Amino acid sequence: MAANFWTSSHCKQLLDPEDVDVVPAADRERGITPEEFRLVKIHMSSHIWRLAQQVKVRQRVIATAVTYFRRVYTRKSMSEYDPRLVAPTCLYLASKVEESTVQARLLVFYIKKMCGSDDKYRFEIKDILEMEMKLLEALDYYLVVFHPYRPLLQLLQDAGITDLTQFAWGLVNDTYKMDLILIYPPYMIALACIYIASVLKDKDITSWFEELRVDMNIVKNISMEILDFYDTYKIDPQRGIPEDKISPVMNKLPAKA
Amino acid sequence: MASAGNSGSGDDDSGGKLLVDRYLKGEKLGEGTYGIVFKAIDTKTENTVAIKKILIGKDSKEGVNFTALREIKLLKELKDPNIIELIDCFPHKKNLHLVFEFMETDLEAVIKDKTIRLTPADIKSYVQMMLKGLAFCHKKWVLHRDMKPNNLLIGADGQLKLADFGLARMFGSPGRNFTHQVFARWYRAPELLFGSKQYGSGVDIWAAGCIFAELLNRKPFLQGSSDIDQIGKIFASLGTPKSSQWPDMVYLPDYVEYQYVAPTPLRTLFPSASDDALDLLSKMFAYDPKARITAQQALEHRYFSTLPAPTIPSQLPRPRRKGESGNNKIPDLNLQDGPAVLSPRRKLRRVTAHEGIEGNMHRADKVDEHPSGTSFSSQSSRIPMSVDVGAVFGARPPPRPTLNSADKSRLKRKLDLDPEFGYAE
Repeated sequence: MAANFWTSSHCKQLLDPEDVDVVPAADRERGITPEEFRLVKIHMSSHIWRLAQQVKVRQRVIATAVTYFRRVYTRKSMSEYDPRLVAPTCLYLASKVEESTVQARLLVFYIKKMCGSDDKYRFEIKDILEMEMKLLEALDYYLVVFHPYRPLLQLLQDAGITDLTQFAWGLVNDTYKMDLILIYPPYMIALACIYIASVLKDKDITSWFEELRVDMNIVKNISMEILDFYDTYKIDPQRGIPEDKISPVMNKLPAKA
Repeated sequence: MASAGNSGSGDDDSGGKLLVDRYLKGEKLGEGTYGIVFKAIDTKTENTVAIKKILIGKDSKEGVNFTALREIKLLKELKDPNIIELIDCFPHKKNLHLVFEFMETDLEAVIKDKTIRLTPADIKSYVQMMLKGLAFCHKKWVLHRDMKPNNLLIGADGQLKLADFGLARMFGSPGRNFTHQVFARWYRAPELLFGSKQYGSGVDIWAAGCIFAELLNRKPFLQGSSDIDQIGKIFASLGTPKSSQWPDMVYLPDYVEYQYVAPTPLRTLFPSASDDALDLLSKMFAYDPKARITAQQALEHRYFSTLPAPTIPSQLPRPRRKGESGNNKIPDLNLQDGPAVLSPRRKLRRVTAHEGIEGNMHRADKVDEHPSGTSFSSQSSRIPMSVDVGAVFGARPPPRPTLNSADKSRLKRKLDLDPEFGYAE
């Protein structure tokens, strides 16, 4: 969205890195560690991603849904807001906000199809609709979210390296497995992805970066965070975090009412 | 879709109740297809507010109303003196409630209240506030898409604010298609009537131009009875556009060729307006959306920098307000509207609109007189505004008392939450 980011609620809500990855007290009491907290967020982000592929929505909608999901857990605990319900509800709300509504009953249908064996992931329409209201409150009714995709395309064009589009786009997708969108302006995330892509594909665009007059230290920091993430989590994009790793964590959360 | 006839059954919370420990609920102001609006006191600030209770249909499987969601999403981003403020949102008994600043009346009530005389300075003030609100929206890449006088609310301080963002949306994504079924018909830009799906902020400017024109002549400018008729009305007044004027016109999906009609000079259509006003108006009515003036450019137009200066909002005339404690349910026997008032309010508007169409056919150059008006079709409403002596000397006769026109229009506004039913039949 080409709208004015600097005056947006998204910009005003950007957080310091240390405020993002804090495990809420209620979850800490259940023995959830920061590492496990992060793991659940990665796991549920890819749950949203896979569900979205079933119902076929635009990339924007997925990105907005994941952003909502991550924002909620800077304010609420997983013990109180079951991530297994919050995730599909975020997708539901994002689809409405981004003007490409997915019916709640379709989501319920595909969740059943995807997670048929696991009862803890199954919810009814009324659960989603109830959570939608709670979600709106948890998000403080701020719904407009900006993403790196559009600046990415513009910047690649400007730098004359559109042949890197696919690769850089994939990198941007992966940044949603992290909390970067809650911390940095979207165009900075886009620049970091371009930076990584240019280094890995041996394109020298140093002079272009210099002309941009952005703080390269921030761009490099974001790039390092992304590379660290790839090092730490070698995630199969189709299957997400392996069952044996995520199940014990999910079991620490209260069973649904 | 019809909202009339819904008596608000199931609305168990009557006045005098404190909601979420903060809002003291007052009388109902109106209701529409997606909500009930009532007045309340915000005990935190002691301000009067208007609370819109978003109804969730009994069998609804789709949660929070889509229109309400749009309004929330955009109004949370749009904070400006000329845009209605969304103060708060809260759920209560499974219904979402939106808290807005309370607005006393709207521009439609002002235009229709024939006891009010609008000086050129008053009109300039309204147009300026409207364009300021629009410029802010467009700067934030938001299209309002439902500009019409009864969506322009007026506060106790005289400030005009854009409201009803239920049809609004963000633009700027190239290649994204939008529906052309937006705006009440009389305010629809020609590109929309020709089925354009990739339009921009020009559609709001066209509508703003129509409102400007309505302020000048005190009646809706182009009152088409169907989409086809609407285009006909536009071309009949402003002339059939030549392809040199609007090269892309012939490529629009619903384009049909119209017989050539020469434009009527704006001077003839708006005898009371100044040259600067007409120049600005002509730029707002540019056929080619690409050539149409933007809200920001319009604000910089010399119309706003030449005399008379726009009236200070607090000194603008406005329809007399009804007592705070009044009971809104008393039918207002508004003599202005003749005996037809006893019919439901929605109908009343249709009847009025119909009369307007017939009555205005051959009198485009005259100020509208109400067909059944007796004491109101007095001199003051017929004097061309350009020779408004009172305005020149800054004096204005005190507004005559009217019968609840503010309340009536507020109710109407709320009954008309569905924008497609704006003025159309």
